[in-house]
Amino acid sequence: MAALWIHAVEQGLAYGIAALGVFLTYRVLKFPDLTVDGSFVTGAAIASVLLVQYGVDPFTVLLVAFVAGGIAGLITGLLNTRLGITNLLAGVLTMIMLYSINLRIMGRPNLSLLRVSTATRVVDAAWSPLGPFSVLAFIGILTIAIKLLLDAFLRTEIGFALRATGDSERMITAQGVNTKTMKILGLALSNGLVALSGALVAQYSGFADVGMGLGTIVTGLAAVIIGGTLIRSNRVGWMTASVLLGSLVYRIAVILALRYGYVIGFQASDLKLITSLLVILALVVPYLRERRMRKVSAC
Amino acid sequence: MKRSIAVALLAWVVVVIGFAAASEPLKIGITKIVEHPALDAVEQGVIDTLTAAGYEEGVDVEYLIASAQGDFGTAISIAQNFQAQNVDLVVAIATPTAQAAVEVFRGSDTPIVYGAVTDPVGAELVPSATDPSGNENVTGVSDMIPVAAHLRLLKALSPEIVTIGIVYNPGEANSAILTDMALAAAPSVGVAVVTATADSTANVPLAAQSLIGRVDAFYVTTDNTVVSAIDSVLAASEEAGVPFLMADPTSLAQATLAAGFDYYEHGLTVGQVVLNVLSGVGTDEIPVTYQPRAEVHLNLDAAGRIGFVFPTDVIEQASAVLYGGIVWERQAP
Repeated sequence: MAALWIHAVEQGLAYGIAALGVFLTYRVLKFPDLTVDGSFVTGAAIASVLLVQYGVDPFTVLLVAFVAGGIAGLITGLLNTRLGITNLLAGVLTMIMLYSINLRIMGRPNLSLLRVSTATRVVDAAWSPLGPFSVLAFIGILTIAIKLLLDAFLRTEIGFALRATGDSERMITAQGVNTKTMKILGLALSNGLVALSGALVAQYSGFADVGMGLGTIVTGLAAVIIGGTLIRSNRVGWMTASVLLGSLVYRIAVILALRYGYVIGFQASDLKLITSLLVILALVVPYLRERRMRKVSAC
Repeated sequence: MKRSIAVALLAWVVVVIGFAAASEPLKIGITKIVEHPALDAVEQGVIDTLTAAGYEEGVDVEYLIASAQGDFGTAISIAQNFQAQNVDLVVAIATPTAQAAVEVFRGSDTPIVYGAVTDPVGAELVPSATDPSGNENVTGVSDMIPVAAHLRLLKALSPEIVTIGIVYNPGEANSAILTDMALAAAPSVGVAVVTATADSTANVPLAAQSLIGRVDAFYVTTDNTVVSAIDSVLAASEEAGVPFLMADPTSLAQATLAAGFDYYEHGLTVGQVVLNVLSGVGTDEIPVTYQPRAEVHLNLDAAGRIGFVFPTDVIEQASAVLYGGIVWERQAP
């Protein structure tokens, strides 16, 4: 049973990196970016091809995936800022393009990583004294490092300009910041993170499939919103932490639904329903608590 | 007195544990990538085979049935859940679920039996189709279709059939492989193949309609995306007035003719492999099993709607026809 919780945290954090990317565009830039459904697979595709066909080191492929995601974000950014295509549509267009591009990168819709040395397998062997915690430790360290780097970036001058672009574009333009550049930067960074997450998840799963990005925006937004509801703060460090927490909550809901759904007699097809109900439950508790506190303070 | 009571209690506890351990049912985890008539039929076939062999549900065997509902991350979580619950055997239906199971159970003794995987070697589930010694804990049944034979069947329907149109989703591994096989086999069969792609169920009608007037026959393989919208393909073929071959007899009512094998029967074959493994045959002793019997079924009602008459030799091959809304099966002589 403990193993299941370890796996939930592993996946929660691995997908949490993508959620951080969605956070960057949706919350910070206030730019709803649908590119992520495509860029997640781009990261997975590039990483898999490099691993299988070129024998590249499994950790380097994460960086290459990041760059590839950055390019995808760049495309969306250019469509929006240079061609004036509205943000949602720009993201959708890039996502659709990426479907074909990803197929070209992989050469086939499904690429198996079962026989190569993936990052998870290397870590499992190298950190074997940690036993079942080796992969969790690796993913944990990687995710925390990325979170801290993101926090630090958002506190730099450029980071502030990025945040201001999302908050009040007109004001920050008056201060001399090129908001177009900021948007492109934000989109590139965000999709880079999403692609990195895709590359990590592909190695964790043992295969890359062109359909594995479907729903990335949904689970990313779920993580951002769940986290934002559970931890209310305007401070960068807490906001990114809440995103990771939200991703964890979602994954734990899935695991709980799988593990205990049988108890309440649900069928295999009810999985997504149970998951959503568990998430609603996770959100309702703090909401009710807050309402009760407000009632108490009112009288 | 107290000591004898304690000993009696201990003995009773040991006996109860012994009974529990002895009568503990076998745990079999069945996982599929998505709800779909064909995959559901495989699952049912497996369960029915085991029940018929004497494994009574709830008594001898406990099934943990799960569906990833199209989410690949969930496929991994399902496999991890099976591992946490110490299942004795995993049945993985469809390629991504099988890959997830192989990844999670790598290095363990738990046998994995896959089904509805078109190319197990290409998916790297097993290293070889014929030599099972490198299988480790994996074996299973492939639903590879004799694509060339299907093209020949279409050609045999009428001398006017020269160009065959295939609607498929290039994002599905099984489908991409089969379509490539069709394209490769086309010249030797003596037909031309034109493809129309649909990356999601919503785009299938458009893809099917794009073939109207360009092809003399429609062909769809075991493509989950297209099969989910198969009525639109039939509608397009009827608008074009040409026959439509579906590579899955379960969908006979939605095609002019169907060839291939029943996915329920495929499930029975998978169940057989499961029984073999349960009875002690090692997974590294069973090579990839290919679905044996392929049948031809004709939909006379649909043919009537486009004014198409099947040639006699095709009718002789058929093992079932749909006529007047009823499926008539040929009796063995």
